[in-house]
Amino acid sequence: MHESKWIPTVCYQCKAECAILARVEDGVVKEVKGNPRARGKMCVKGMAGITTLYSQERLKYPMKRVGERGDGKFERISWDEAMNIMEKKLRDLMARGEGHKFTYSMFPHSTTDPKWRFVNAVGGFISTGLPHCDSAKIMAHLHTFGCFPNHHIAPMYYTVPKGGIMILSGRHPFGCLDDACVPRDILGAKERGAKLIVIDPIFRTEAAKADWWIPIKPGGDAALFLGMCHHLIKKNLYAKDFCDKWVREGDMAKLKAFLKDKTPEAMSKICEVPAKDIVKLAEMCAKAPSVSVDAFKSIMYGNAMDWGQAWSIFLVITGNLDNPGGQPMPEIAPMAPVKPVPPAPNLKELGYHRTGPNRDKFDHYTFILEPTWYAAQAIKDGTLKVFFASECNPALSEMGSGEWRKAVTMKDKNGNYALELFVVTEILPSETMKWADLVLPDQTNFERWELLYMPWWYNFGHTAAICQPVVKPVGESRHANRVMIDLGKRMFPQYFAFKDDVEYYDIELSGVGMTMQKMLDGGALWSPGTVGFRKYEDAGKFNTPSGKIELEWQMYKDIGREWPSPELPLEFRRDEKKYPFILVNFRTIFLNNTGAWSQNNAQLRDKVSGLDANPLLLNPIDGARLGLKDGSTVTVESSTGRVRLPVMFTEKIKPGCAGVIHGFGQTMGKVAARGAWIGDNELIADAGSHLDEQDLRGGEAHVSTRVRISK
Amino acid sequence: MKQLSIMVDLDRCIGCKTCIVACRNHHGLVDHEKAMPGEMSHYLRVETELRGTYPDLEEDYWVVMCQHCKKPPCVKACESGAIRKDAQTGIVFIDKDKCTGAKKCVAKCPYDVIQFDAARKFAHKCDLCYGRVIHGQEPVCVEVCLADALSFGEKEILLMRAEAAGKKVIKKRSAQSIIYVKS
Repeated sequence: MHESKWIPTVCYQCKAECAILARVEDGVVKEVKGNPRARGKMCVKGMAGITTLYSQERLKYPMKRVGERGDGKFERISWDEAMNIMEKKLRDLMARGEGHKFTYSMFPHSTTDPKWRFVNAVGGFISTGLPHCDSAKIMAHLHTFGCFPNHHIAPMYYTVPKGGIMILSGRHPFGCLDDACVPRDILGAKERGAKLIVIDPIFRTEAAKADWWIPIKPGGDAALFLGMCHHLIKKNLYAKDFCDKWVREGDMAKLKAFLKDKTPEAMSKICEVPAKDIVKLAEMCAKAPSVSVDAFKSIMYGNAMDWGQAWSIFLVITGNLDNPGGQPMPEIAPMAPVKPVPPAPNLKELGYHRTGPNRDKFDHYTFILEPTWYAAQAIKDGTLKVFFASECNPALSEMGSGEWRKAVTMKDKNGNYALELFVVTEILPSETMKWADLVLPDQTNFERWELLYMPWWYNFGHTAAICQPVVKPVGESRHANRVMIDLGKRMFPQYFAFKDDVEYYDIELSGVGMTMQKMLDGGALWSPGTVGFRKYEDAGKFNTPSGKIELEWQMYKDIGREWPSPELPLEFRRDEKKYPFILVNFRTIFLNNTGAWSQNNAQLRDKVSGLDANPLLLNPIDGARLGLKDGSTVTVESSTGRVRLPVMFTEKIKPGCAGVIHGFGQTMGKVAARGAWIGDNELIADAGSHLDEQDLRGGEAHVSTRVRISK
Repeated sequence: MKQLSIMVDLDRCIGCKTCIVACRNHHGLVDHEKAMPGEMSHYLRVETELRGTYPDLEEDYWVVMCQHCKKPPCVKACESGAIRKDAQTGIVFIDKDKCTGAKKCVAKCPYDVIQFDAARKFAHKCDLCYGRVIHGQEPVCVEVCLADALSFGEKEILLMRAEAAGKKVIKKRSAQSIIYVKS
C-alpha cells in the first residue's frame, strides 16, 4: 500500500543537529524540513542530506587496507574480521599499559555518546575539534563567571529586545552552525529594532545585513574590546551597580589600573579600527538595553584566551550576563549515568598530546577534552598508537596537513607504522580514509538511532532530540555508536551490559523522567521549557571559587598572565616582511568544513545550490600592487606550506588579508575531487613545529598564519 | 486581477540557497544516486548585487524563479500550445505531454528559468507549487525559507502587506508577477 508520512528526527549534515521532519514515501526519503515543534528551520546542507543518503558512492561494507597508507587501496572484509582487528590491537595496547595511547577523534553529540564510554573503558582519550573552536570561549567564561562549558555559547537572538545590540566578531552565524533558526532570529531581532554590528575583515552576508560593518585586523578583537572597556570605565559608563554587587572585591580597582593605558587610541594602533569608532561602539553599548557578543574565528587565534578574557570583562562591565539579549548561562539537564561508569583517564597526568615533551610548560592548559589536531605531534612523540576517527576528516582538518601525512606514515626501524592502527568510520569516501587501515561504513542520520543532548540547545527551544532510523540502512553500514557498543560488549561486558543503544539512551533519559518511547510519542523532542534569566540572583552567587565574578585570573599569577594582552597573536607580529598577508580562512553555509559527507554531496558542490570554487580572495588594491591578474593562478606560501590556486579580486576583503574557504582539497570521491582547489591546512602550521607560539594559558595558536603571494 | 505571487524581501534574503535544494527535493528534480554538480535542474537561483568599494559596501541577495509573466514570451514562442497562463491563478503552466521538446520557450524566456529534461525531452519550470497551493499550502520555497524572506499569496494582498510594513517595491525587478521589496 502506498504510504507517505512526515517523521520527526534530527539532521546530521553538520554539528548543529537541528530537529527536522523527514517525508518517507514507500520506504524512500523524499523531502526534509525543519520541525515546527522545535525552531522550524533547516538549512541548505540539511536539505541536501538526502543526496548523501542515496549517493552512489556510499561505503557499503567494511574494508581493510592493501598496500601502503596513502595508496587508498582496500579489500572487502567481514564485520567480524574488522571487529577482531580492533579488539586484538586494543587488547595488546592495554596489556602494555598504554590504553591512554588510544584516541578517538569525534564530535561527541552529547555527554550521552556511547563512543565516549568505550574510549574511557579502554583508558584512552576522546579528541575533538571542540577545544580548537571553543575552548578559549568556554574557559574564559568558566574562569570569569563560572557558567557551564556550554558549546558555542551563542546568544539567544530571539530574546534580544528593541534597541539591543548584537555584535558578531569574526562570526558567521548565517552559516547555521548553532541552529538553522539563527538567521531568522537575528533578522527578527533587527525588525524589532535591535542593531547588528559585524566586526570582520571579510564582508559577508552578515555584514551585508548589518547596521554597521567594522573591518578589523585579524586578531585585533582583544584590543578593540579593551579599548571599549577603557572608555566605559573612564567615562563612568559601565554597569556600576551590577559590578559593585557581583564582582569580587578588589577586581574592579585592579581592572581600572590594568586598563589605564588601553586607550582607544593605543588599541586602534593594534586592531586598525579608528579610535573614534571604538568610542562610538562603546557608547552605543552603554546606552543599549542589552549587548550580545558572538565570536568564532577570532577566538581560534593564538591570543584566544586574551580575547576571551577581554570579551568576558566587557560582558561583565556592561552587565550583560544571563539577561535577555545578553550572554546566556544555560544549565544542564540531569541525564542519568549508565552504571557502572568506566573511569576516565587522568587527562592532566596522561593526556594533552599537544604539549609533547614540554608538558610542564603547558601545564596551564585546563580544557576538559583532548584536542584533535595534535595527532601528528602525538604520533611523533610516541603518545598516540591507536587512532579511531568518526565524523571528522583529520587528513584535511588537522593543522599542517603535510606533517599529519608524514606522521601517519612514519615507520620504526622494523618497518612498522609508528601509529599502529588507524580506523575510520565513513559514510562517503574521505581524504582521511586514504590513510586508514580499516574503513567502516557508517550510517547517515536517516538510518540510525541516536539520543542527541546538547546543553546549548537549551538556547534554541529543546534540550534532547531523538534521531531515529526512517529508512533501512544502505548495504552493511552500521552506525559507529553501535560498532563501539558491540566492541564494548566483547571487551568490557561490565560497562556494556545494556541491550543496545536504544536501551542505553532509555537509561540516560530516566534522569529527566523520560523514556525513548515517551519521547517518540511526544514528537521526539524534550525540553524543560524555560531558559530562565539572571539565575545567579536566585542562586545568590556565580559558580566560581569565590562565588563572585572573577575578572582577574589569579590561577595564572605564576606566569604573570592575570590580565589579557591586547597584542595581536605572536604569529601575526613576526615575519611580516617575508609573509605580508594574513590568511583568513572561513566557512560557508554550504559545506560542513572538511566533512566528507558534505564535500561529496553533489547538491552542495553544485554552483547553483552550493559552492563549487575556493579561489584565493584578495582586495584589488593588493592584486594591483602584486601585478596579478584577476583569475590567474598564483603561488601562496607560508612558513610551512606552499600551494597554487586561482586568485579572485574582491572589494569584500580588507587589504593585507588573503581569504580562503576552509574544507576544500579533498581528492577522494568524484564530487569532492572536482576543481584545482586546495585545503587551507596545507598552509597552516602543525602544532609540533610551532610550540613556542602556544598560549601558555591554553589558547590555540595555529590558525594564525601569514602568507606571501606571487605569480 | 487574479494573480498568485511570491514576494521576496531583500531585507531578509541571505542567499543561502535552502529554497533551491528543498524545491529540487519536492519536485524530484534530482536523482540523488546519480547527481553530479552542474547537471541538476533548478527552478530557482540566487542573484546578488554588490555596490561600492572597500570599506563602503552594500550587497543584496534575492532569488529568481519563473516570474509568471503578464504576457509570457514562452507562451507565444511555443508552437505546440503546451504553455498557458492560467486565468484563475495567473500561474504559467507547461504541459509536459503536449511539449514537443522544441526548446523555443527556453530561448525566449527573458529570465532564463525554463529547464529542459534532455532525457525525456520536455521543458519544465516553477508552477508556484500548484499541487500544494490547491490544498492550502504555501509553495515549498516559501515554507522552508531560512530567513522568512519569502511570502506567498494574491499579488494585491502581498503589495498591501509590503506597504504596511514600510517596504518599497523594487520596480525594475518586479515587472511581472513576482514582487521584490526592500525597506
